[in-house]
Amino acid sequence: MTGQTRDPVRDEWYPVALVSRLGPQGRDTLLLGEAIRITLENDAPLVTAAGRTLPSQSRYGHVWTSLGTPPHALFDIPEADQPGRRLVDVGLVRVKCSPLRAVENFLDIAHFPFVHTDILGAEPHTEVGRYDVTIRDEVDEVWATKVHFYQPQAAKSAAGGITTEYMYRVPAPTVSVLYKTCPPRPGEWDVITLFVQPLTETLCEVWPWMALFDDTTPMTDLIHFQQTIFLQDRSILENQQPSLLPLDPGLEIPTRADLTSVAYRRWLKRRGYTYGAQLVAA
Amino acid sequence: MTVDWTPVALTRDLPPLVVMPVTVGGAELALWRSASGRVALWADRCPHRGMRLSHGFVRGEALSCIYHGWSYGASGQCLRIPAHPDLAPPEAIRVPVSHATEQDGVIWAALSPLASKPPAVSGTPLRSLTLDAAPDLSAFGFTVHGPVASGTLSGTPVTLLLNPQPDGRVTVHALCATAAPATLAALSRDLEALRRVAEGAFA
Repeated sequence: MTGQTRDPVRDEWYPVALVSRLGPQGRDTLLLGEAIRITLENDAPLVTAAGRTLPSQSRYGHVWTSLGTPPHALFDIPEADQPGRRLVDVGLVRVKCSPLRAVENFLDIAHFPFVHTDILGAEPHTEVGRYDVTIRDEVDEVWATKVHFYQPQAAKSAAGGITTEYMYRVPAPTVSVLYKTCPPRPGEWDVITLFVQPLTETLCEVWPWMALFDDTTPMTDLIHFQQTIFLQDRSILENQQPSLLPLDPGLEIPTRADLTSVAYRRWLKRRGYTYGAQLVAA
Repeated sequence: MTVDWTPVALTRDLPPLVVMPVTVGGAELALWRSASGRVALWADRCPHRGMRLSHGFVRGEALSCIYHGWSYGASGQCLRIPAHPDLAPPEAIRVPVSHATEQDGVIWAALSPLASKPPAVSGTPLRSLTLDAAPDLSAFGFTVHGPVASGTLSGTPVTLLLNPQPDGRVTVHALCATAAPATLAALSRDLEALRRVAEGAFA
């Protein structure tokens, strides 16, 4: 394989199924426009495309696969193995949008008061303060830290309004990991992820997954809370023009609140990750 | 680009504080009315992240995007960015503006300024509906001049104002020469019947 040109899109790991919901019938779906099938063989995932067996693994509640040959291991979320956390399989939300638009929306806090009104934000608390964004070259990830926002009900376990602190991390082009103030356990971070399966450039399935310190909230309520949030996001994501994410400046106007998005677009372009993106400001 | 006025809505369907999506010559636009009654027609796209402004909300004399609340004033100029409440938005942040005028209970639109006025029409505004077809209305006994089709339904004179949609559909705004509630109801059913025939559902 040496000397073979890397394909920055096909050589990524992608989430394609929830392990806990993968029944004996398996799952037929699309990845990057190609038909794939996921089954469990002796509790291990088996992913095939046109008769070819693809690399696969089960991690963070999901089956991950690749159409190419990933040069790297799946990204690490150390908190996933931390004792005492509840792991929440939220399920999937299908969204008619670019997978990259879905990730970018997850990185955005300025929309909370308008899209997740009275849950993740509320007027007049709309200001986004300065925060830090870097591309960490040693791990090749986008990180945003020291993000603060006032929230009426930051989590199912939050009783009233609090200023929540966030960290955002993009460890793979269609994955974002959010670290968030944990109301019942100060000093720890709740982990909420967005795993995005690109069906096509303009259609994706979004798999939220959580690792929380919350022993009291019923699982159903935790899932409903996240599904409410993502259905609100869907009404935005299906109505953005153009549907492909513009990686070059000119077509959209970022402000200081959008620095994470700016870094994410720059990082995608640098990697040559153009699936679901457009390069020229058409 | 169209060179004629395009009928985009009936006045009574756009009360103050309402925004709706319309098309003019294939261009997707947001039509809205301010608290004071001013009608505006803009590109249906927020310059920030490309969200449709027709999903937004009107407060006072400004239209705001539903995504991040950026609000825009009469000229299309961005007035406020809620994430940065102390920032005066740069001049360059502006929504492209088209032209709309109201006449005879109808809102007419044009992508560029027109010297002419929209065609004069008369009658009681009946309703708007979109046909999943683009029928030749002369086959239904109507006389068609540009966007205006004149004819009768159940013996009552009716004017249909046509706005062809980019996907082969047509939006119709109907006015009629009566104000009697029972007749209006009957004409509304006649229009539904015309729609079904045009769409071939019972052909």
